Amino acid sequence: MTDDVILKVQDLQTHFFTRTGVVKAVDGINFELKRGETLGIVGESGSGKSMTAWSILGMVPHPGRIIGGSINYLGENLLEKSRGEMRDIRGSGICMVMQDPLTSLNPVFTVGDQLVESLRLEYNEPRRSLRDRAIKLLENVRIPAAEDRLTNFPHQMSGGMRQRVVGAISIARAPNLLIADEPTTSLDATIQLQYLRLLKDIQDQTGAAIIFITHDFGIVARMCDRVAVMYAGRIVEQSDVEDMFDRPAHPYTEALLESVPDLDTDVDMLPSIEGQPPSLDALPDGCSFAPRCPHAWERCKDYPLEFTVAPGHVSRCWRAE
Amino acid sequence: MVTTAAANAGVATGNGEQPLVRLDGIRRHFPVFRGNVLRRRTGTVKAVDGISINIMPGETYSLVGESGCGKTTTSRMLLMADQPTEGNIYFDDRPMNQFSGAERRNFKASVQAVFQDPWSSLNPRMRVDQIVSEPLITHQRLSRSAVRAQVQELLQVVGLHPFHAERYPHEFSGGQRQRIAIARALSTRPKLIVLDEPVSALDVSIRAQILNLLKELQSTYELSYLLIAHNLATVRYMSHMVGVMYLGKIVEEAPPIELFTNAQHPYTRALISASLPAHPRRQREEIVLSGEVPSPLNPPTGCAFHPRCPFVMERCSVDTPILVEYASGHATACHLYDGDANTC
Repeated sequence: MTDDVILKVQDLQTHFFTRTGVVKAVDGINFELKRGETLGIVGESGSGKSMTAWSILGMVPHPGRIIGGSINYLGENLLEKSRGEMRDIRGSGICMVMQDPLTSLNPVFTVGDQLVESLRLEYNEPRRSLRDRAIKLLENVRIPAAEDRLTNFPHQMSGGMRQRVVGAISIARAPNLLIADEPTTSLDATIQLQYLRLLKDIQDQTGAAIIFITHDFGIVARMCDRVAVMYAGRIVEQSDVEDMFDRPAHPYTEALLESVPDLDTDVDMLPSIEGQPPSLDALPDGCSFAPRCPHAWERCKDYPLEFTVAPGHVSRCWRAE
Repeated sequence: MVTTAAANAGVATGNGEQPLVRLDGIRRHFPVFRGNVLRRRTGTVKAVDGISINIMPGETYSLVGESGCGKTTTSRMLLMADQPTEGNIYFDDRPMNQFSGAERRNFKASVQAVFQDPWSSLNPRMRVDQIVSEPLITHQRLSRSAVRAQVQELLQVVGLHPFHAERYPHEFSGGQRQRIAIARALSTRPKLIVLDEPVSALDVSIRAQILNLLKELQSTYELSYLLIAHNLATVRYMSHMVGVMYLGKIVEEAPPIELFTNAQHPYTRALISASLPAHPRRQREEIVLSGEVPSPLNPPTGCAFHPRCPFVMERCSVDTPILVEYASGHATACHLYDGDANTC
């Protein structure tokens, strides 16, 4: 079974060394991902969810540094890789799916050129056979008349088609892991649905694992197998997706799930979470959610340990002790 | 068979009240030109193409639809930032194009707006008290101390502290900034506030706070809202009436519970099916629309939705369906339901 684990993140710490002090953007998080599995990392802005993605890709921006922990990808620690090796892994093994799939194609090259370019990195083959591979890829993402489409420029295609081409490029090098950082925030509902279906389709074909970085529990409910909730740089709760929605164990998750309006039920007043998400350079001592938590008590002055509330379901809250 | 106007009149008189604002057959067409020296008119974008809605006092009317469907153009005409090419807007039963100067000023004070992005809708060089009092000073003659007192009161009403008045926008979080924007909108004691995606730029844990604040303010001050949102769950939570727009037209209109449990128009049904579930075990039946919203420069003939519609019939590409009342207060513009279609 352990072979199935393609990514194992242990005690990852990514800190930013700014003039005013150390900002602990990611502060000791653990999770693992199996082949073909979809993990949702949910959090608000500043919770460290995007920085988790950048850390895995080895692209933490200045003045940030990974100061501890390990990222095990197929049995190798990514933190020990050189820049060149990381560059190779990005794109071939681990691939980022663009935030805005509609504007990430180069307008001055044909779709075929752009596909062949990414294929050439992977396969040392003559142009003709790369072209055949490109056609195959376009067929895989269900673009009709794929061969004719190779000579199209992006502006000659509809938005949905371009989305598919971007999808095709991201799977050109048969990645094991796709990271989608807020992939659909700028899209309309019906286009978003098309895109999510495309990703699922790609996953079914390639068996790649997907990490969804999102603030939207709807995407988690629609797409993910497991979910990790981040708050102020830590994973406060992690479990299977159904378990999380049925029995949220952490007060933050619980409150968040309740505060989202639901299309299928009527409420007079939504329960809301008071206060603001904390700023990372002025975190409270102990549990960082305590100032907003309706259940806060004595114990919360110490940061809670990780407790297992059910098999595969952990929560960092003293209530679960 | 009831026509648009009659259907709307029926809704309006249902509870014996007069609408606060009535949009009557509003159209906004933008000419499209080509060439710089020899400019020729080559087409028309029908951004808003004949919509009629009633906004009742103390109620929320929501417009939903995908980008480019004309929601924002509609709100701009309501804010007098743009003028309809055709049709009229009635405010307290007075047509907007016949407003006297005083009526105009009164209207502008009575209709305010809160925008999506509180990072760009507040001037970073103005202090909070200046931001909040600017509309007050424009519309009313008040002494400096009276302005000060009002600002303090407004800040408290929206859940901020009086000492926040002396700070600048960058010192606030997104949720607090949106509160400032709401305080500014409230300062002239408006009757109607246009809310253009008021929470979609905010953190998830803050959204409920702001939505609840808006609801409380609505009941305290009997405010009407025109809400523009793409999140259907938010719309259900906030609205009394919902209009679904597609390419400049309203294709379905109903109170939220009716609309979301008994949607008729295929486009509405597709929109609902595309909204994300609130629980992993409650996946929706998915209606996947082929293609995307056509260009309003060259809209399809007949029903604008017919190239994407899973239930398309022959007449859909020829006849433009009109909004007819399907059930009380529920109108839809689709040939499937307009009586002389024998298909369903």
